[in-house]
Amino acid sequence: MKSTAPRSRISAFISAATLLLLAAPFIGLAFATSWRHFGFADGDGNAIAVSLGYSVLALILIIALGTPLAWWLARHRMRGQWLIDALLLLALLTPPLALGLLLASMYGPYAPAGSMLERAGLVLTNSGPAFVMAQFYSALPYYVIAARAAFESVPRELEQIALTLGHSPWRSFVHVSLPMAKLGLAAAIALAWVRALGEFGAVLIVAYYPQGIPVKLWVNLQNIGLDAVYPLLWVFFLVAMPLPLILGLAARRRRLI
Amino acid sequence: MRIDYRIDTPITLHAAFDVEGFTVLLGASGEGKSLLLRAMAGLTPAQGEPFGGMPPQHRAVGYLPQGYALFPHLNAWQNVAFALRTQRRAQALQLLERVHMAEFAERYPATLSGGQQQRVALARALARRPQLLLLDEPTSALDPVTRDDVIAELISEVHEFGIPALAVSHDPHLAAVADRLVLMHERRIIQIGSPAEVNANPVDGSAARLLGHRNVHRGRIDGARRLLWQDGGIAFPVNSGAFEGEVDWAIDPDAIRLVHARDNLPDAAAVSIEVRHVMGRTLQLGVRCGQGRLWVSAPVDQVVSEPVAVQLPAEAIRWWKRHS
Repeated sequence: MKSTAPRSRISAFISAATLLLLAAPFIGLAFATSWRHFGFADGDGNAIAVSLGYSVLALILIIALGTPLAWWLARHRMRGQWLIDALLLLALLTPPLALGLLLASMYGPYAPAGSMLERAGLVLTNSGPAFVMAQFYSALPYYVIAARAAFESVPRELEQIALTLGHSPWRSFVHVSLPMAKLGLAAAIALAWVRALGEFGAVLIVAYYPQGIPVKLWVNLQNIGLDAVYPLLWVFFLVAMPLPLILGLAARRRRLI
Repeated sequence: MRIDYRIDTPITLHAAFDVEGFTVLLGASGEGKSLLLRAMAGLTPAQGEPFGGMPPQHRAVGYLPQGYALFPHLNAWQNVAFALRTQRRAQALQLLERVHMAEFAERYPATLSGGQQQRVALARALARRPQLLLLDEPTSALDPVTRDDVIAELISEVHEFGIPALAVSHDPHLAAVADRLVLMHERRIIQIGSPAEVNANPVDGSAARLLGHRNVHRGRIDGARRLLWQDGGIAFPVNSGAFEGEVDWAIDPDAIRLVHARDNLPDAAAVSIEVRHVMGRTLQLGVRCGQGRLWVSAPVDQVVSEPVAVQLPAEAIRWWKRHS
C-alpha cells in the first residue's frame, strides 16, 4: 500500500490540474458575464426553441436510421469492409464548414438533389428541414461509430440463444441486443445530441435561417458584442446539459449493479 | 430419436446415430462436435434430420452451449421466463423448483456457481418445451470437487423430464454415466453402445484413448510374438496369433505386476517411479519405462521396494491393428 501512495498522489494531482485546465474557460465565463445587466437580445428565445426542437428531430432521425446501420455493421463482416470504415471516417473528419458546403452543393436550390426535392416541396436551404439535415449529417457518424461499438460488445452467442428459445430475430434484437447494449447506446445518443446541438459550421451554410443557438451566438457577437453572447451561452448550457448528463448518470448507475 | 446431419463448412462432417435417454457423443477437441450441436440448433448451415431447413426459432430443441450463455442482464427466473409467453413468472418458478433452484430465482447469473448456472440454463431450455436437449461440454465449467454431484443431478433431471438429451464432450467421466455412448474420431463415428459395452471392448486404440483408458500406446508386433514398444527398446511377449505389424496396445493398470529389479525375472522391464497417487484403497503409480510412462495400480499397503521392474502378462495386453 505504502509504495503506491506517492504514485496515486501524483496521479490525483495531475487529474486535479487537468480538471482545472478544463474548467478555466468556464470560470472565466462566470467572471466575464455582466450579471447586473444580464439580459437577452431579440430573437434569443426563438433561437432556443429552434435549437431544441430541431435537435430533437435530428436525434430521432439519427437513432431511427443509425441504429439499424450500427447493428448491421457490428454483426456482418464483408469484403470491402474498409470502404465502409473509410466512409464513416470521411464523414467524421470533414470540417463542419466544408460539410455545409458539400451539403449545399448536393441539396442546394440549384443542385441536383436539391432542385428535385424542392419540386417535391422539400426545401433544403434556409429552412427547418435544412437545419435538421445539417445536424443529422454532422452527428450521424459519431452515433453510428459509438453504437456499433456498443452492439459489438454484446456476445453474439446470447442473440443466438434467444433464437433457440423461440424468439424471432427481431424479438432477439429487442430483448437481448438492445438491453445489453444500452449503456453504450446511451453514450452514443448523448454524443449525437451534443454534436447536433452544438453544430455551427454546417448549419451556418445551409440554414442561416432559422437561427439556432450556435448561429445566434455568432450573430449576437457581430451585431451587439460579447454582452449579448454570454447570457445566451448560459441558457445553451442549461438546455443542452440535462439529456447527456442524465443518460451518463443512468448508464453509470446501471453499471454498479 | 434418429440424428442424421451433414455439414460442409467450415469443416466436412457427417454424423448419424440414435439418441436415447442421456446420450454422450465423445470425441477429442476439434472434431466438430460443438459445430454439430449448433447445426442441429439451426445456428450454422447444414442439412439433416430432424428439424432440417427450419430457422432456429422454430426448432424444438433446448440448446445449452458451453458456459451456458445465461443473459447477464436478467435474473434466474427472468432467464427461464425468456422462453415463456404466458404466466411467465409462475411457470419460470415452477421450472426452477424442478431443478432445485427456486431459492435462487432473484439472483443474477454472475452470482451463481457453474453448476447452478447450468441448472438455470437447463430450466430455461426446458421452458421452450423441446423434443431434444443439446448440451455442449456440460462438465467443462464445473468445479472438480462438486462435478460428480452436478453430473448426477443433471442426469437425474434429464431422466425425470423424459426428454432425449445429446451431450457432446471429451470427458470420459461424463461418458461413463451415459445411457448410450457414441464415439467420434477423425470426424467419423467409430463406435456406438452402452458405456459398459464400449468400455469393455473399445473398437481400437483411439477409442480406448477417448474413453480415458490408461496405458494406451503405439507399438509393433514381430514374428516372434513379441510386442515391441518404443522402437523395440522394450519388448514383452504377447498373444498375437499370426499377426505381424503396427498396433495400438493397452494394458489395464491392475494387470501390471510390480517386481524387484534385482530378481532378474524374465520379460521384466526396469522402471523408475515418477508419481504416487493414493485413491482410497488403491495406489496408482506413474512409472517411467524407457521413454514412456506406464500406470500401475496396487493395493495401498503393498510394499514397493526399489529398484522396481514391471511384468506385463501376455494375456492382459490388448492390441488393435493400426489403420494407416
